[in-house]
Amino acid sequence: MIDFVQLVILGLLAGGVYVAVGVGFGLVWGVLNIVNLAHGALVIVGGYLTWQLFTVLHIDPFLTLPVDAVALFVLGYTLQRGVVNRIIRAPLLFTFLLTFGINLVIVNILLAIFGSDFRSVTPAYSGQGLELGSVVIPYVPLISLGVAVVLAAALALVLNRTRTGLAINAIAADRDAAQLVGIDLRHAYAVTFGLGAACAGVAGGLIAMIQAITPTAGEPYTLQAFVVVILGGLGRVSATVVGGLAFGLVEAFGQSIPGSGSVFANAIAFGLMVLVLVTRPQGLMGRLR
Amino acid sequence: MRKSWLLAVVALAAVACGGATSSGPATGSTIVLGAPLGLTGSLVKESNLTQQGYSLWLDWINTRGGIVVNGVKHPVTIKYYDDTSNANQSAVLMQKLITEDKANFLLGPYGSAATATDAAVAEQNQIPMVEANGAAQSIFNQGYKYTFGVLSPANKYLQGVIDMAATLNPKPTTIAMLSADDNFSLEVANAIVMYAPTKGMNVVLFKKYKNGATNLSAEVQAAKAVNPDIVLNSGHLTEAIAINKAAKQQKLNAKIFAYSVGPSTPDFITALGKDADFVYDGSQWTPQVKYTPAFYLSEADYVAAYKAKFPGIGDPDYHVAESTAACLALERAIENAGSLNPKKVRDALATLDVTVFFGEIKFDSRGINIYKPMVVEQIQSGTHHTVFPPDVADAQPMYPTPNWDSR
Repeated sequence: MIDFVQLVILGLLAGGVYVAVGVGFGLVWGVLNIVNLAHGALVIVGGYLTWQLFTVLHIDPFLTLPVDAVALFVLGYTLQRGVVNRIIRAPLLFTFLLTFGINLVIVNILLAIFGSDFRSVTPAYSGQGLELGSVVIPYVPLISLGVAVVLAAALALVLNRTRTGLAINAIAADRDAAQLVGIDLRHAYAVTFGLGAACAGVAGGLIAMIQAITPTAGEPYTLQAFVVVILGGLGRVSATVVGGLAFGLVEAFGQSIPGSGSVFANAIAFGLMVLVLVTRPQGLMGRLR
Repeated sequence: MRKSWLLAVVALAAVACGGATSSGPATGSTIVLGAPLGLTGSLVKESNLTQQGYSLWLDWINTRGGIVVNGVKHPVTIKYYDDTSNANQSAVLMQKLITEDKANFLLGPYGSAATATDAAVAEQNQIPMVEANGAAQSIFNQGYKYTFGVLSPANKYLQGVIDMAATLNPKPTTIAMLSADDNFSLEVANAIVMYAPTKGMNVVLFKKYKNGATNLSAEVQAAKAVNPDIVLNSGHLTEAIAINKAAKQQKLNAKIFAYSVGPSTPDFITALGKDADFVYDGSQWTPQVKYTPAFYLSEADYVAAYKAKFPGIGDPDYHVAESTAACLALERAIENAGSLNPKKVRDALATLDVTVFFGEIKFDSRGINIYKPMVVEQIQSGTHHTVFPPDVADAQPMYPTPNWDSR
């Protein structure tokens, strides 16, 4: 029973990271119809920023997250305005190719700057946790889960309560109609991509505290973000939160199947994704569009 | 007989010098060695270490004018390609090195997966490949004749830790074995399952996880449930870091934490800080070992040469040393063969028996070096120390590992 409770907690905590990675990916996919293969690379850029600020300026890693968000927003905005906008109406394959190319460029720039060494942010309280009987709740993943939920809430607030957010929603609903009513498409696209990148940056900061990062460590996260968004459902931030937490839980229980371990964890997660696609194509929480 | 030998030398020298008569040491054709390495992708760290090992030897041999074959010095170059850490790509590039770049001999890539695919290419083309970074025995159980590994095979990686544990007091008896699901890691882990009972220890938990996993909290939780004396991990650097982090977070306490690959690299310590302390690993080589080299550098000189060429990154780890050792094996085999003929060099490799700073290099009939022992290292106060076997150790094992709460 204690093991079960502990696994649920660990699964939910792991899910926090997937939420953070998923929200930005889902936003860009839902609004721009771009499956951003560079998302994992943007995540790792955020990770290196946090690592730099922590090791050079000794800033608490959680306090570096706003810096990650702003820096990645600027990077994302520039990338969209300068590069991605040019193929925004091209077939899906072109966006795959372009974002894959951006991914390679970012990864290799990181390799050139930081080398291939494993980096990890290890503050003094790293590894400590709250002990409730024999159940342990480690602090860093717990705060990370909190940050991820706040991040998702903030994103939802921006999308539903601000003019820019409403413009983004309008574009997601009907691109041409949005343009007809005077929305500056290129700007709104770039803001969307920037917001997605900002979320990725925050996720990267969290990941640098939880695992060791290298320039190539982001690739699995692109795939995981994809699964998380499909599980939850495209087009709503809250759906991604559910998808992320569900993915964390599935992974934790998949890993603990006696005899198999996480060998099948991915297979189970993808199996679940297929099941969701077959039975609820809009995702666990998604709306039909 | 003697006359014909002399004639051959004169003829060779004449060819090498374009017919000019010269009294100094003759210079022959450049020997091209080929090596695909993961210069980008997930194995870039270890591939860079491999390349460092190769280049240390390359500098040394070329300052001496090259490899001496029958009195003629042949300078050496190494041609590298980036296989993007992809084993299939590695094999494609190995073929390219042979057919397009006319590589005389091959050096191995990084990792068992790429070594396995490259070994098949070496075999098809009958060009010897000396490798230093593929320890899976499955590579050597294919009946290949042209692949030689200078390192101890996978099954030896964690056996030293078990041997050491058997000498400690109070003696640990239960083992939780975690393993990544790639060939190499499973060989390491399965060997422990077979070996531990012979030393009076039992594997009470065996858990596989996906190669490259970064979240291993459920595995660590399973280990905590069986309360083992020894936690062993057979995987790579990423997983070793993940397990150590999770062990601290989830308060998994054990008398020994030992990981097959990872703790020996400086990154393990920089990534984990003082949480890296007390961790053991099985190592192919440490800067503290004492062998009597027949040629090349002593251990101390090797470390000094490394620090001079790659300043600011600490001592060479075993990936670097074994990669240099592969070059030394090839060099000595070429000298012994007295020829650049691939078949003759292969035969010379098969009968090679030489001790260098890395230890004894000698191959069994399958081509793997089962003669060199592994050593056990422990991280103590942020520094690597060799703790077993006692005759090469520079420190005592710090045992048992204190609980996370009392560190």
